[in-house]
Amino acid sequence: MSTTHLVPRLRLGLVLLAAVALVALAGCGSSSSSSSSSSSAPSSASTSSSSAATSVSTSSCGSKPGVKATGTPINIGTIDTHQPGTDFTDGPNMINAYFTCVNANGGVNGHPLKLFVQLDQSQPAQVAAAAKQLIQSDHVVAIDGVFDLLECTIDESYWKQLGIYEMDAGIAPGCWAAPTSAAVNMGPRYSSDGAVQYALASEHAKKIVFVQSNVPGTGYIAAGPAAVAKASNVPITELTENVPITDASSIALNLVDDAGSNGSVVLNFTPPEALVILQAAQKLGLEDRVKSWGCSTPCDTDFLAKALGPKWNKKLFVNAEAVDADDHNGPEIQLYKAILAKYGSSVAGGVGSFSQFGFLLAKFLDQALDKVKGPYTIKSVNAAIVGIKDYKSEQLCQPWTYGKLPLHIPNNSDYTVTPDNGKMITTQGCTEISNADPQIAQYRSVAKAHGVTLG
Amino acid sequence: MHPFILMALSLPSWENEQPFLVTGLALGGVYALSGVGMIVLYRTTGVLNLSFGAVGAFGALIAWQLINHSGMNQWLAYLVCILVAGLLTLAYGMVFGRALAGRDPLVKTTATLGLTLILLGVMDLLWTSNGGASRSITLPTDNHGFMIGQVQVSTTDVIGLAVGIVITIVTTLFLRYSKLGTAMRAMANDREITATLGVPVRRVEAVAWFGCGIISGVAGILLADLVALDATTLTFLVISSLAAALIARLSSIVITFVAAIVIGVVDAGLTPFMSLTNYRDMTPFVFAAAALLVLNRKQVLSMARQEF
Repeated sequence: MSTTHLVPRLRLGLVLLAAVALVALAGCGSSSSSSSSSSSAPSSASTSSSSAATSVSTSSCGSKPGVKATGTPINIGTIDTHQPGTDFTDGPNMINAYFTCVNANGGVNGHPLKLFVQLDQSQPAQVAAAAKQLIQSDHVVAIDGVFDLLECTIDESYWKQLGIYEMDAGIAPGCWAAPTSAAVNMGPRYSSDGAVQYALASEHAKKIVFVQSNVPGTGYIAAGPAAVAKASNVPITELTENVPITDASSIALNLVDDAGSNGSVVLNFTPPEALVILQAAQKLGLEDRVKSWGCSTPCDTDFLAKALGPKWNKKLFVNAEAVDADDHNGPEIQLYKAILAKYGSSVAGGVGSFSQFGFLLAKFLDQALDKVKGPYTIKSVNAAIVGIKDYKSEQLCQPWTYGKLPLHIPNNSDYTVTPDNGKMITTQGCTEISNADPQIAQYRSVAKAHGVTLG
Repeated sequence: MHPFILMALSLPSWENEQPFLVTGLALGGVYALSGVGMIVLYRTTGVLNLSFGAVGAFGALIAWQLINHSGMNQWLAYLVCILVAGLLTLAYGMVFGRALAGRDPLVKTTATLGLTLILLGVMDLLWTSNGGASRSITLPTDNHGFMIGQVQVSTTDVIGLAVGIVITIVTTLFLRYSKLGTAMRAMANDREITATLGVPVRRVEAVAWFGCGIISGVAGILLADLVALDATTLTFLVISSLAAALIARLSSIVITFVAAIVIGVVDAGLTPFMSLTNYRDMTPFVFAAAALLVLNRKQVLSMARQEF
């Protein structure tokens, strides 16, 4: 017998167990991030081809159709999460597509827009360094289009020190609670509020079971749905599940048992995690054992609607933070689809809320830059950004305002969609997120005092 | 126990607990399948194949791709998945297995982690989750099933458990009664002496690698349906199977099967226990660590690989 086979099995076993556990933890790390991303990130509303909208000319994205911008570039920076399981690059890619369109049609007063993208893997030091590089090396004058798990929290004090007002499609709580950040999306907490609100008001649920991934920050998110349910005197059970989910059948059984036949289950997960729970429920015949199923925005994806099939038509109700691009065909949506078709080849998810929010962030910045008089400096550009007031978009329920406020939740009115034979369709139009969530109430109070248009 | 006491302790009733045991049995069956595949390879080549889950995940994602983007018949796609997993594992075994044949088992095992990480990277690149993409494999057997009392049992659940049992029995009989199985057992004792007796060790090893890959492909498809079609999830599900194999001291196929079933059932069975539910992922680690400590205390671990 070879001596190489004489390693004591106990030692081998323990070493292997430790090694695999370490690698597994590394894997779970990314998954956890992925799930918080999911919980908060905007999701793809559709994967349908964007070619349908190419009838609209992209020239309307600039002030001088067909004239290429040749002036000195205006440098814009963004920081975005890009790691295994969590890829938010569709957001900045759509902004780049919009900027390319603007630059091909006169630019901003003749100046082309140039986007500097910093990608991170959820390491705080990396995110902080990215901010410094954008300012010190790339000389950006604005931060626009941040789709990141951590950025809003990490860089808040740096932006404050520099007088920068960032625009984002946020993930971290700081994206809505800071004076220097305003998001075009609602994020996980308010989106979950909306899903719970729908279950209570439209489905008349007598109990709510709210479940989300077991990652840092869940307490902050769960506080919203808890307040909404409490205001309606409906009991709520709040659960967390480790991700990635390895026993979806057990989880689905547990949720249904807990909710009961008059209750509703509301999920706050990434699309893949939500899908495995919903599919497990379907396999076990549980979809009809509760009053309804709900989900925050990440579930608003045709990937999910297609995978679930018709059994979930009008059974699953998903909060949507922006209009369903498949359901709507106004001029702005047509322009968005046209830009996506012509310049957005790198937008992997195609039509969907990642690219919708990217479009909005680029559009709002473009409009703000048009108002800058004189040189484009950090001071002048950010004065224009913070001065954004009542910018209208057919994709959002209400006008979008930045303003010098202690907190910003400018998107606080939402839609509800439901699967319909492989697609998500709108089942409820614009509905205000309840003031029962104290943060929403605080924002509305502050916004009203500052003359911000609400609803 | 009285229902009032159960409620006070937040314990589920037996009636509520039953469905969880059914799902646990199905998962345990697939864990057993994986554990048996790992043990056969280990006993033959001295390699504990930690890339088992990643190879299965890779095969399952290829099947998904073929079904959804090439319009391939799904059964044919599953066959491709199994073959890809078999060939990939065989290729690794023929290139790296041979090169590392004389090295310490720990080195051989760690090398398979390299394959795992490479496959994880490739899968993340090819099947990104950008734009909210979510994928799934739904076997036709999901739509058929029956009730046991109040418990819905799908045909896939039954298949999961049945495949685990069948592979365990067939592998045990194969190793005991077939010529090739006898050669594998001989190699388990001493590769060099077996070679001098005229056994084509490389061919036998190739069969072991290919067989391990085939089993990982089957497990990949079943777990993609029962758990999730996600590269990270499927890759690290190997932990439960590894724990079962360690409990069996990397030798007994039958004990591996039983341990895997117990791990699956306990893991699922803890779900309705409010106070324990978030810790149930620790189940395989707790079982493996406890088994290793107890076995060590009783001095039953030997220094050499034993017979099946």
